[in-house]
Amino acid sequence: MISSGSLPRVLHGSEGRPLSLAQHEEVFIAGTPFNVMHELEHSGLTGRGGAAFPTFRKVDLLRLQRGHNKSVVVNVMEGEPAAHKEFALAGANPHLILEGAQVLAGLIGAKRILVCVARDNPTVVNHLSRAIHELERRSLRGAKIELHTPPWRYVAGEESALVHWLNDNESLPQYRPERPSILRVGHSPVLVDNAETCANVALIARFGAEWFRKLGTVQSPGSTLVSLTGAVERSTVLEVSLGTPIRDILAAGHADMAPQALLLGGFGGTWLHGQHIDTPYANEHLGAHGASVGAGVMAVLPREACGVYETLRIVRWMANESARQCGPCAFGLPALAEDLTSITHSSKDPKAAYERLQSRCDSIEGRGACRHPDGVIRLVRSALIVFAEDIAQHIVGRPCTGTQRPKHTITIPSLEHEDELIWE
Amino acid sequence: MIAFTSTYFWYTTRATGIVALLLLTLVVTLGTLVANRIGGTFVGRFELNELHRSVSVVAMLFLFVHILTTVVDSYVSTGIISAFVPMTSAYKTIPIAIGAVGFDLLLCVWISSLLKVRIKNESWRFIHWFSWLAYTSAIVHAYMSGSDTHDGAGLLLVAGCAGIVLNVALWRYFGRPERAAGRTALSPIPRAKTIPQRTDSTSRAFPTQKPRRR
Amino acid sequence: MGVVRRRSGSFVLKVNPILCDGFGHCHELAPELVDVDEWGYPIVATEPVPLSNSGVLQSARYAVRGCPRQALSIERSHDAEKPQ
Repeated sequence: MISSGSLPRVLHGSEGRPLSLAQHEEVFIAGTPFNVMHELEHSGLTGRGGAAFPTFRKVDLLRLQRGHNKSVVVNVMEGEPAAHKEFALAGANPHLILEGAQVLAGLIGAKRILVCVARDNPTVVNHLSRAIHELERRSLRGAKIELHTPPWRYVAGEESALVHWLNDNESLPQYRPERPSILRVGHSPVLVDNAETCANVALIARFGAEWFRKLGTVQSPGSTLVSLTGAVERSTVLEVSLGTPIRDILAAGHADMAPQALLLGGFGGTWLHGQHIDTPYANEHLGAHGASVGAGVMAVLPREACGVYETLRIVRWMANESARQCGPCAFGLPALAEDLTSITHSSKDPKAAYERLQSRCDSIEGRGACRHPDGVIRLVRSALIVFAEDIAQHIVGRPCTGTQRPKHTITIPSLEHEDELIWE
Repeated sequence: MIAFTSTYFWYTTRATGIVALLLLTLVVTLGTLVANRIGGTFVGRFELNELHRSVSVVAMLFLFVHILTTVVDSYVSTGIISAFVPMTSAYKTIPIAIGAVGFDLLLCVWISSLLKVRIKNESWRFIHWFSWLAYTSAIVHAYMSGSDTHDGAGLLLVAGCAGIVLNVALWRYFGRPERAAGRTALSPIPRAKTIPQRTDSTSRAFPTQKPRRR
Repeated sequence: MGVVRRRSGSFVLKVNPILCDGFGHCHELAPELVDVDEWGYPIVATEPVPLSNSGVLQSARYAVRGCPRQALSIERSHDAEKPQ
């Protein structure tokens, strides 16, 4: 029973198998009904998909739109390969996600809920489709829930790419010049929200904003899911209160307590130097080091590993995952990977490659339709700062031994065509 | 019916037909130069594009005169309908029909280009591909219906134009710019040697001119 | 001649990076506003230009018209009404 302001919240009650509808209703006994919009506004909930946009503002914007066939899209795509928090959530409390989606549908006046899960993960698809069937058997009133399974790509989890897939069967991010802009499925406006955000909305609707704010900080209230990978005993997903010092999170996940650096946010996030592990895990504190919570990824880099090499591997993979709609991203990211290769392996004038890398970062930034290249640039720039000493060594031709380790720290899905980065 | 004819109609239709064919050959060549990203150093890429647009207008004018003089001339029983609808001409049914098909396609291409700002770019490109088909029908029409294209200078002209455009078409395919995943082209243009200063700018406008971070 | 309207406000040239295919015509037609990167794609100046700067505005218009993919557009923002 969730009444006190303690953890776990969205991961409550799970023991490895997803909760059935009966168990779900028993665990999350409803509190007093609230004015949900009011509670949502006062809770200060922000999106848990990476952008941290205030959920209330998004819902408010959609509520004012005209459209007789509005929908809510639940994003369970888990675009970040290093993260597995959506899957953990779907494997624990799928009904919480669906309930949150129903609440949002009620708020904006939507008649449909489109749950989008990557088809490459049949377990999660199964969990969610079972949960949807249970709801259908109960024939509860509410929006109609549909399950969609787009193919998994990095950009497929981006909200405009997801909507484009729903419309035209291709996961391509769209150009959105006006902010705020409304996404549409067909001609009707659509609200796209992350699965964890939906789960938090369900909890807020049941227990209120006061309860929600019992955890977290004033500026970053509530709890969040963290995917801990890298130099850890076992990759885990932890639910933490925002504002917890990172050191405590590492301890709870049995991670390397003296890491060289941490990758925060995701492959499009930032490196945080190991000396800052006492920083509270919240955007207002991480911002001072140029980092952010992002998609909840925390990858631990041990001292023996080579940070530049790990960055190189990530950048190469991200370059291959580009949708290649925009020139600066399609050609710029592989060029960044090339320069990083020159630096890491000290081949072909690494000093010039280093200069070129910085000017290319300045040149490419902000010129894509989506924020994919910006994420890669953010990662590269943070690597140049955090691993500055290591890079200096690489440039003069004394690379560290980290490049020869047999098993790399950060797991990267295999490149489809390793040797043909972008040409067809 | 009063016979409304004159040998000048006949001369005009033949002459404007030949000129239209030559101009269309030029238009197709210029269009391919634009598509294969020629220019940037000695001639501007935008200049070739503008030439392509202007010459196509002139070509269409000659084509209109060619059709008008044939239609108005009562010596040949080709009505206005047969300029648009194939197989409705009693005189030289098949060659005129092919000409009509080409004319219809060219009209679509031309009107879609006039309305280019108002229609989706992918729709415009789809219609524009049909210009190759329009040109082919123009060549076939010229060969079949021309009174002097079966030998001598006329044949040389038609064959020459066809040969040029065939080469251009092959080059269009084999000389196309490299692409990333079929979506983005690589064809860098040389940077302008002097970038004029905007009279009002006090600070640097281009993102790459940000002060270097240490 | 009619009313002479004083132009107030500024404009900025915007490029749709998805439609853009790196032809480079914009760099030739409006070099004050569009620079080109090493792959041939445009770097468009982000600073607004006053509408009174008619030379640059005309270059921008030519660039919008000349783009083979219709990827450019001019976005205007008007100044607030000044009291007489």
